[in-house]
Amino acid sequence: MEFDVKHIAKLAMLQFTAEEAAAFEKEFAQIVKMVENLPEMESAVTLLEPENQMELREDAVIPSYPREEILQNVPHAVAGCIVVPKTVD
Amino acid sequence: MNLYEKSAAELSRMVRAKEVSATEITKDALARIEAVDLKVDAFLTVEAEKALDRAAWVDEQVAAGKDLGPLAGVPVAVKDNICTKGTKTTCASKMLGNFIPPYNATVVDKLLAAGAVIPGKVNLDEFAMGGSCENSAFKATKNPWDLTRVPGGSSGGSAAAVAACEVPLALGSDTGGSIRCPAGLCGIVGLKPTYGAVSRFGLVAFASSLDQIGPMARTVDDAALLFRVICGQDTAHDATSKPFNFAGMGPDIRGVRVGLPKEYFGTGVSEEVKAGVLKAVDDLKALGAQVIEISLPSTRYALSAYYIISSAEASSNLARYDGVKYGYSGRRDGSLNDLYLSTRSEGFGREVKRRIMLGTYVLSSGYYDAYYKRAKMLQRAIAAEFDEAFSQCDVIATPTSPSTAFKLGEKVNDPLAMYATDICTTTANIAGLPGISVPCGFDSQGLPIGLQLLGPKWSEARLLTVAKCYETAKGGFAVKEM
Repeated sequence: MEFDVKHIAKLAMLQFTAEEAAAFEKEFAQIVKMVENLPEMESAVTLLEPENQMELREDAVIPSYPREEILQNVPHAVAGCIVVPKTVD
Repeated sequence: MNLYEKSAAELSRMVRAKEVSATEITKDALARIEAVDLKVDAFLTVEAEKALDRAAWVDEQVAAGKDLGPLAGVPVAVKDNICTKGTKTTCASKMLGNFIPPYNATVVDKLLAAGAVIPGKVNLDEFAMGGSCENSAFKATKNPWDLTRVPGGSSGGSAAAVAACEVPLALGSDTGGSIRCPAGLCGIVGLKPTYGAVSRFGLVAFASSLDQIGPMARTVDDAALLFRVICGQDTAHDATSKPFNFAGMGPDIRGVRVGLPKEYFGTGVSEEVKAGVLKAVDDLKALGAQVIEISLPSTRYALSAYYIISSAEASSNLARYDGVKYGYSGRRDGSLNDLYLSTRSEGFGREVKRRIMLGTYVLSSGYYDAYYKRAKMLQRAIAAEFDEAFSQCDVIATPTSPSTAFKLGEKVNDPLAMYATDICTTTANIAGLPGISVPCGFDSQGLPIGLQLLGPKWSEARLLTVAKCYETAKGGFAVKEM
């Protein structure tokens, strides 16, 4: 099977050098070969677990984290705002 | 016996009885870390001052007659993918190298409420993806039983820190065997709880439907003690967590039916591991258990299903690392896309990129049905097989890993060989079951062998009972002198 590593990398927002991509393609082919041995399955099998009904919390107003604590980890913040490269001309 | 060699249960008792102070225990643990961690490399962050301040607070509470929890003054190491407020949580990744969480994981809050002292954060494979702890962006942890070998992964730092008596307890996380495998390779006890038994809030997500936090310890009693502290529903933060009343351990295992699945003893499992595990099963029989041969035929597909499901979830979970909100940030002199691309390409390590790529591929248009959907259907089939097996037996005994600890560097460039180290453990995650690894002797090179016990959902009390009875019969588990 052939893989369009470039296309998958684009979807995954990753970039590889030509050398990395070549090595990666080989490894990737082996990994996909390993995982593609799955048997045909009856499609009637349900993927939902009836016993696992997730319980959601009450919709209540609670304090959020302090802004300055959240901004501490932001790579580039100015005047309390997160700075990103220009997205609109 | 030195303080650092004592069990968590004993340390906590001593603190509450005022036989020793939390400060003395913490100083002793920090000295031990300083003495052996240069060789073992388990810790990524040691916060001596913070730990001593915390210990002083514990001592004040004891002096004031306040009833502290069951971990009063006990040092507990925390895997570095579990958020600790004000303390770096790196996931052993360049991507989160400077990330300081503004909140605690629920399990960390529970540790603190129980009186624990956290001396620091321990190493892992980057984002918990790996089976040797060599995928860390910062350092490779070594196995205390042989410093030229891996401790297993991904919770290798947790396992090595406990095995080297740096701490009596550690928290790990297990997505496909990441608590049980390193516990097995380092000769300690590691419990992967039932999915939903422990809150995942604050655990940096790898594969959300498979991840569970669990305890690692040198004795079964200590693993049970830590499990009791961290289990239970977290209605505020984790909708998948469930109420859990841990009944505690029973007195014996007379009449317990132990299933032996032939599929876990086939090709790829070393003869010495097989012999060690089968000897342990004989020991369980001598304690009154009944041994039954069972079959779990879909096991041969489990590794494939695991790598498809976990990578698919990882590719989605790790989409959040974009260099904007937190973590590593790439080049900012181009477009927003350039920022995303450079951040992710420079910030993630090789194995993480492999998993993101695989996950993206199996979810991509044209391949979803062939891979992801089929793997999810297989997940149900595997779970149904376990249900059927548990109508014949109470616990299932298997090897934890197919071999004992391998040499550092031996499998690092061979992803398939590395993935195969999870072959005995992924099924429990796929089916949401609890599993425990306990030491069951050594191979001819003196390396620990792990016995894995699996049970139906919510059967932790029985698993721990079987493990405890085995431990007692063996006169306790060996501890490596360092």
